[in-house]
Amino acid sequence: MENTEKKYWKGLEELHQTPEFLATQGREFPEEIKIEDLLESGTVEKTVTARRDFLKVMGFGLGAVTLAACNTAPVRKSIPYLVKPEEVIPGVPNYYASTLPNGHGVLVKTREGRPIKIEGNPNCPITKGGVDAVGHASILALYDDTKLKTPLKGKSPASWESVDNFVKDELAAVRGEGKTTVILSSTINSPSTLAIINDFIVANPGARHIMYDAVSSSAIIQANKNSFDKAVLPTYKFDVADVIVGFSADFLGTWISPVEHTKQYLTKRNAIYLRENKSMSRHIHFETNLSITGAKADSRFPVSPSDENLAILGLYNALATKAGAPVFAAQNVELPNNGIQKTADELWAARGRSLVVSGSNDVSVQVVINAINSLLENYGTTIDLDNPTLTKNGNDAEVTELIASMERGEVGAIFLYGVNPAYEFPNTTAFTNALQKVRLKVSFADRADETGLLCDVVAPDHHFLEAWGDSQPRSDVFYIAQPTIAPIYNTRAAQQSLLNWAEQSVNYADYIKNYWQTNIFPKAGVLLFREGWENLLRTGFIKMNSVPAQNYRFTKDLAAVAQSVINQSSTLNGKTQLKIYEKVGLRDGKHANNPWLQELPDPVSKVTWDNYASISPKFANELGIKERDMAEITVGDISMVLPVLIQPGQANNTVAMAVGYGRVAGGKVANEVGKNAYPFVQIANGSFQYVNTVSIAKTRGKYELAQTQTHQSIEGRDIIRETVLSEYQKDAGAGSRGKLHGMKFYDLWDKFEKKGHHWAMAIDLNACTGCGACVVSCNAENNVAIVGRDEVRRRREMHWIRIDRYYSEDIENPDNVEVVYQPMLCQHCDHAPCETVCPVLATVHSSEGLNQMTYNRCIGTRYCANNCPYKVRRFNWFNYIDNDKFDYLLNSDMGKLVLNPDVTVRARGVMEKCSWCVQRIQSSKLKAKMDRVELKDGDVETACSSSCPANAIIFGDMNDKDSRVAKMLENERTYYVLEELNVQSGIGYQTLVRNKETSFRAQAPFEKVS
Amino acid sequence: MHESIIREPLVTGKPDLRRITDDVLAPVLNKPSKAWWIGFSIAFTFFMVWIISIAYTFWVGIGTWGLNKTVGWAWDITNFVWWVGIGHAGTLISAILLLFRQNWRNSINRSAEAMTIFAVICAATYIFAHMGRPWLFYWALPLPNQFGSLWVNFNSPLVWDVFAISTYFSVSLLFWYIGLIPDIATVRDRTEGLRKKIYSAMSFGWTGSARSWIRFESVSLILAGVSTPLVLSVHTIVSMDFATSIVPGWHTTIFPPYFVAGAIFSGFAMVQTLLIVARVVLKLENYITIKHIELMNIIILVTGSIVGVAYLTELFIAWYSGVEYEQYAFLNRVTGPYWWAYWIMMTCNVITPQLFWFKKLRTSTVVTFILSIFVNIGMWFERFVIIVTSLHRDYLPSSWVMYTNTWTEVGIFVGSIGLFFTLFLLFIQFLPSVAMAEVKLLLKGSSEEAKKKVIKKMIEQGKSVEGVVIATTATLKKGEKDAN
Repeated sequence: MENTEKKYWKGLEELHQTPEFLATQGREFPEEIKIEDLLESGTVEKTVTARRDFLKVMGFGLGAVTLAACNTAPVRKSIPYLVKPEEVIPGVPNYYASTLPNGHGVLVKTREGRPIKIEGNPNCPITKGGVDAVGHASILALYDDTKLKTPLKGKSPASWESVDNFVKDELAAVRGEGKTTVILSSTINSPSTLAIINDFIVANPGARHIMYDAVSSSAIIQANKNSFDKAVLPTYKFDVADVIVGFSADFLGTWISPVEHTKQYLTKRNAIYLRENKSMSRHIHFETNLSITGAKADSRFPVSPSDENLAILGLYNALATKAGAPVFAAQNVELPNNGIQKTADELWAARGRSLVVSGSNDVSVQVVINAINSLLENYGTTIDLDNPTLTKNGNDAEVTELIASMERGEVGAIFLYGVNPAYEFPNTTAFTNALQKVRLKVSFADRADETGLLCDVVAPDHHFLEAWGDSQPRSDVFYIAQPTIAPIYNTRAAQQSLLNWAEQSVNYADYIKNYWQTNIFPKAGVLLFREGWENLLRTGFIKMNSVPAQNYRFTKDLAAVAQSVINQSSTLNGKTQLKIYEKVGLRDGKHANNPWLQELPDPVSKVTWDNYASISPKFANELGIKERDMAEITVGDISMVLPVLIQPGQANNTVAMAVGYGRVAGGKVANEVGKNAYPFVQIANGSFQYVNTVSIAKTRGKYELAQTQTHQSIEGRDIIRETVLSEYQKDAGAGSRGKLHGMKFYDLWDKFEKKGHHWAMAIDLNACTGCGACVVSCNAENNVAIVGRDEVRRRREMHWIRIDRYYSEDIENPDNVEVVYQPMLCQHCDHAPCETVCPVLATVHSSEGLNQMTYNRCIGTRYCANNCPYKVRRFNWFNYIDNDKFDYLLNSDMGKLVLNPDVTVRARGVMEKCSWCVQRIQSSKLKAKMDRVELKDGDVETACSSSCPANAIIFGDMNDKDSRVAKMLENERTYYVLEELNVQSGIGYQTLVRNKETSFRAQAPFEKVS
Repeated sequence: MHESIIREPLVTGKPDLRRITDDVLAPVLNKPSKAWWIGFSIAFTFFMVWIISIAYTFWVGIGTWGLNKTVGWAWDITNFVWWVGIGHAGTLISAILLLFRQNWRNSINRSAEAMTIFAVICAATYIFAHMGRPWLFYWALPLPNQFGSLWVNFNSPLVWDVFAISTYFSVSLLFWYIGLIPDIATVRDRTEGLRKKIYSAMSFGWTGSARSWIRFESVSLILAGVSTPLVLSVHTIVSMDFATSIVPGWHTTIFPPYFVAGAIFSGFAMVQTLLIVARVVLKLENYITIKHIELMNIIILVTGSIVGVAYLTELFIAWYSGVEYEQYAFLNRVTGPYWWAYWIMMTCNVITPQLFWFKKLRTSTVVTFILSIFVNIGMWFERFVIIVTSLHRDYLPSSWVMYTNTWTEVGIFVGSIGLFFTLFLLFIQFLPSVAMAEVKLLLKGSSEEAKKKVIKKMIEQGKSVEGVVIATTATLKKGEKDAN
């Protein structure tokens, strides 16, 4: 084809293709300057274009460098799902039903294959959706990079194979020597694990399984055995009881099954019950140190441990007199207001609907308690011995005997599972000495802890979120735990290790399936295994039919028991008495390497990161001890120096100290925090006794405890509103109307129509127990930074929700204090003072009533925090991420895996605060939109409201008139904190109602003004 | 006809015009004195402390300070308000006193204005320093941006503050510099070489012609007019940072006048502190006389008393309001854990300035110097009391805390004083520290001579000399013409 294209030309030179044109055509620049010419001296100056060339080169250079500098965005390696697992959708969480180690059913939220949050399982028959602080925090232990990454043999890392060979050989040798093998564990209520241990015992004839709990309840089991021939831990029913009497039993915080008890306890104290029945249960508490249970009690009597014993006997005598049963001569305890007799009267009036519990671990005391409950006809109604609780099965006598047996050299091998006796055993030296005489020592701990360091082998167990497992926390409920992530480190389930060492070649996952198929499903009436198993993995548990609870009558002779109680009391009497207790955060110290729990303020003292010797103000005065002083406390030949906390409401002449602290090989977070109280526990009358005689003396030195709240009094301010039941019965709004009730408020701002959703919250002060579950749940949900002891001392903790604790005088009992807990978080004020003062509009109001914080826009003037009347805003004083000074979770790649990807990790210099879990609101709205349904009440729950074991926090849409929150806000008891400021806060609090006769604030002085 | 009462001379020692130039320019034209070097090294050392402290803060974060979840501002804003307040005396002297034709201001206005500018610079450093993310400071300005309709919050007093301080700084700088131009030209005419080049660039080609002088006078007057409202507005707006909040102890309508009075009070105290030293070191006793010192002391006495009344009014209103939070805030100021700060404030601001009722004391340089330091301290504590004692115990007792400063904060504060004196010492070394041209106006030398001339002529002509008044230069010229 002929080229018919038109020809274009630029100049005649091109058209004519002159030689000059052809010569220059290929060149980029018209004329060539030889480099030699340029370099020759003087040429540059002579060249006319030197300056322009210089500018060109300069310009090009600068431009090129600038452009190159623009492209230094770091290369982020992300691995796409080439083969995407069917169930994983990036950005959409999956929930798996599982079980906490203590046997509570939970849902585990996973994102892209990693667990990030524990939620309660609302169908769980025991906790009904509640999770305690320890449960919420347990997820962080999964990403603890101080755990063992491989098994240890000797002190060095080894392969599982070599560990297996070593243990098997040693076991064979032990068998050859004719010595016994012992599995020493904490309470195990996992049926399959118990079966495996049984298999192991069969494979190693003469082997024994011994359980003990660091904080033991074995006396209750023993007492039930002695009293009724039923060696069980009863299931208590606080929801049935109208009168509850507790003796040092912190059943809302730490005792046996606190979440379960909290749910039950509030059944007769919550807003709905109050409103419908105009009554509530009555709770009388006798205790040495102030616990959250004592704080919730309607009447509380601080008594020393010796007086507590006498009070129990006194109560028995008073009730026995009424019942016509024999009484025992015992010294009377003088309690204000004739406390014991009155308690007896109230209990007697509520026979069959009452409950008396004691936290003592003394068998005699528990037998008397049994006798009291029997007199009150409580068995079968509020105490269930036929569907026993299995969360604490330890046997103190057996373990004490074991140590003696180890000392005698009878034990050839010991397997330590879930226990750390070198730390938590009352007499650690006795244990460690005895341990030396054992040939094979194997620990299943996740790290070389205090005991692990003394063992030949540490065979690290999985974290429970990596492992299969099951549990039976109560005789009629079975739970399954399923792995939510592949094991992070080279760990192995302890059950698998035991199976291997028992020469069973079965995989534990198969074993557990088989076990359920053959043992549990038939009992539960599940016929098709596959269907049942899949259903189980979805629901997480199987509930069997409960056995009807029988009425038991106490018929044994009490004389010897009473004498034992009196003797015990008299050994303590007149001396300074030490009470050893658990805190709701660290509990027995197993989770001490968890910064969330370390930084969780103690609900009573508000102290973080330490334990201390707490004493009453009067006693402190006698000893000449002031705040920040140090004291030396001595029990027998052991003494330690620790900071003193002056605790109002504690019994005089007593010292209280918490266990769980003073770890030395617990991990970098746990070590050297506080002092270990276990050595002060005494073994007496066959059980661990958490009371002792002590001497305390002021020593030199000052120590500032890291408290999140230092001003204890409310200064008579109208922040807490409360009433007593009798007033409430007369007027449901009693006490809820403040001083300015009925006054007209004036407003600077325009009124806006509240269209669509308008989020709101209701917090029932009567329900809140102050347990702190919401705080840890919020930490996990919202990536809240942990700042450590020093920063808490500087009052810079970052918690988005805190629980304010206020004391007030108890006019019935001057030694006691009344306590109120008030969860305080961003109030999402409709007329928020923080919003008007931000210069850059970094905090603004959403159309749905949320006070929103735009981290990206914040320049950090802190004006908003100053102007917040509730002081809920938190400033990022430092970079808390990748900062060696804050070596908690945000400083390691592993720790960061727990972060919620839906929530921004805040940078240095910006303000942050509670967002009412806006990410949850958005995702629920989105889900409703995609499902083309309306958002219902309950679809959106904040981290705090969903976790609250007391259901004290209710969140929802107040524009939906049928929502729980709208109804709660219409409750007569509702008031708004600092409502006189007219900030129109979005959280309504419900007044505290105490079931007692008199109260200071029953009638506020200006209440009648309207 | 009468002649006004004899005023005390505002310039003593009867220098002639040349002598004034020589005296004022002596530090500028000569090598720095030993005293200057000593002062400068000390100031510069503290300036380095400032650099280190502020760099440490910027590098590590505001956490290096003693602030906490409840007390979000403390030394930072205390120092900010303190410095801004100090600046106010300069503006008052240069603007309001100019409008009121208070000629005694002429010999002190230059250094007072310089002090204003340096004080505002020091104050401005805290605007940046107190931010969590100072590199984003420009977000507080209403700049066009690519974020759509993102604007600053015009409701926020901090935004007003940004406007107030930036306006204040630019107007003060302009006013000061324009006043400097004729004097820089004088320096230019007396120097050689590079210095001459620099000074001639800085003098913007000042010729000293009558036309220039007329324009100079009108610009001065206009700028004085612009500055005058600033004396009242700047500290009013600063006070609104507190007054518009809801923090008990901050939320007070009395704040604007009380802050302005306090600002002038502290500003004059700082002028005294500086000038009492400077007049001796620079040998300017003839120009900054005891009369000046006494007049400024009277202003200190008046404003100090206003501040004292404001303190008492606050206490009364707190009680009278019946608001328990307000009542507690003030009770806590007086008797709470920071009672010492309150009583230092009361002593230094209200009690000790009352000594100026005694003429002997207010004309004593030593007493004035000591009391001016007292006022500086007292006014610092006033801001500390307002900020820290109000914040540390506000509404919810659960969040009540104590605040303790750290060394970083002390370093930044002491360092900012170093910055201030570094700038001030550089100023008195390189620029005329007394407004020569304006001081020359005070001499009245020419009019005195003209008067004598007229009287002489009248005597020659046998006329009565009683009641001869030479009112203005204009009549004088007319008279001369007539005489000829």
